[in-house]
Amino acid sequence: MNYTRIRKLRDKYAIVGVGYTPQGKIPGRTAMSFYAEAGANAIQDAGLKKDAIDALICYRQFPAANDEPEATPYLVAQHLGITPAILSQESYCPRHQFIQAVSLLEAGFCNYVLIIYADNAVSGKRMFINEATHSESPAYNFAYGEFGFVADYAMAARRAMHQFKTGPDTWKEIAVNQRKWANLNQMAAMHNKTLDYDQYMNSPYLAEPFRRLDASLISDGGRACVVTSVERARDLRHPVVAIMGVGEANPSVDIHQSAYMSGPTGAKKASETAFGMADIKLDAIDACEIYDCFTYTVEITMQDYGFFSPGEGNEFFKDGKTAPGGKMPVNTSGGLLSEAYFMGLTPITEGVMQLMGRCGERQLGEKTGTNKPEIILCSDNGGVLQTHSCLILRRL
Amino acid sequence: MEINRIATADTVFFWEGCSNHQLRFQKCDECGHVRWPASIICPKCHSMKTSYIVSEGEGEIYSFVIYHAVFNSNFKNKVPYVVAVVRLKEGPHLLTNIVDCDFAKLRCGRKVKVVWRKIGEVTVPCFQ
Ligand SMILES: [Zn+2]
Repeated sequence: MNYTRIRKLRDKYAIVGVGYTPQGKIPGRTAMSFYAEAGANAIQDAGLKKDAIDALICYRQFPAANDEPEATPYLVAQHLGITPAILSQESYCPRHQFIQAVSLLEAGFCNYVLIIYADNAVSGKRMFINEATHSESPAYNFAYGEFGFVADYAMAARRAMHQFKTGPDTWKEIAVNQRKWANLNQMAAMHNKTLDYDQYMNSPYLAEPFRRLDASLISDGGRACVVTSVERARDLRHPVVAIMGVGEANPSVDIHQSAYMSGPTGAKKASETAFGMADIKLDAIDACEIYDCFTYTVEITMQDYGFFSPGEGNEFFKDGKTAPGGKMPVNTSGGLLSEAYFMGLTPITEGVMQLMGRCGERQLGEKTGTNKPEIILCSDNGGVLQTHSCLILRRL
Repeated sequence: MEINRIATADTVFFWEGCSNHQLRFQKCDECGHVRWPASIICPKCHSMKTSYIVSEGEGEIYSFVIYHAVFNSNFKNKVPYVVAVVRLKEGPHLLTNIVDCDFAKLRCGRKVKVVWRKIGEVTVPCFQ
């Protein structure tokens, strides 16, 4: 691929505000309430007035629980009291949000893009079974007892165990390292719960080879951020965190027919585009915020990014290399495994907050015995490895 | 279960084949690609010219998981059970169950053969 044109977009757009909500198990609230709160907080955090927002991009909305109204993009806009020129909401998880934002801004259709994900998955007792789609009819999968994302990703992980050296010995390192970050993050669901190897190994199998502790959390809450030009960002209140590179790839084939489940996944191509745009190499990366719906997702993503060769993940993750004090910090909020599940916005907004220097106890740099970050690599992935987005953020 | 629940307009031929203990797939007349999921076009060459073949029902386990958790109450008495993707000799990857097996002997790459099971009125392909 020729990167000449997209390279002109390097460091041209920035993420200027992050919106949080109460998160974890927050009973008595609708999904909409989290959308509204996260969105409003992101706008306020950026130091903007709501009427500045002229594009709203919603992550995938899962079917509403508890007979609530569906959180359509129209309703999200209505609750926020905005009438954006551009309105979008994806179905089925293609991870297109940040390329879409950058492309819309570059074309000139809008100036401030608000991106949101929210859900009341705990209170709504979401099982993430009907939410998993497949190439066969739902009744076909039901006949065989094929239910949801845990087993789907476990299928990929099992194939990886056949193809190269991986398994629980590698995944336990990922789970334990991320938990140590969560222990430094007061917002993390697992803030007060330490985790050691024995606890990981004693965690019950859900769908073997995956244990409960290989799987991400289910969360109530929401997360949002605002994207605009670096030029406008310089007039706003936070340090400028630019999008240095962004790339997307969509292998698309269902896990039931996938021949890429043990790599290379879309992470490889997406990162080639992002690094091509940023015009840097892996050695420029100070930390990673990797979409971690399961432990294996972190391994295969970083393997496909080129941090280590197939089967060398154990070596890479062991001895706390990705934990506080480690050489390559990964998922510094605790991630989807130990902080909260807000799709790609959990890792991406954490990358932004770290580069802004707003992470308190878990702040990269002196406080956590790590390098002060200038460039952070983030990933987002959807379906069952069917879509991948790679984002390189840089503090200007 | 009834066949009109499991079959779609694209897969009637497949499920009718199953009721006769035949594993039927579409084969592209232009490029020879044997496809699954069923489709009106060949994903390799977009030809709509299609024949049907009957698979020998032999293949290998491409990957598998052992369900320990009960995700649906209908499977409460079935756990642990094995959901697998089988790569058939003819090419298609088929989601299925590996039945009557010793879990300790399950491996990716292990050779398996189709066996037929009934779920309600529907005959479904499983592997052993
Ligand atoms: Zn063809």
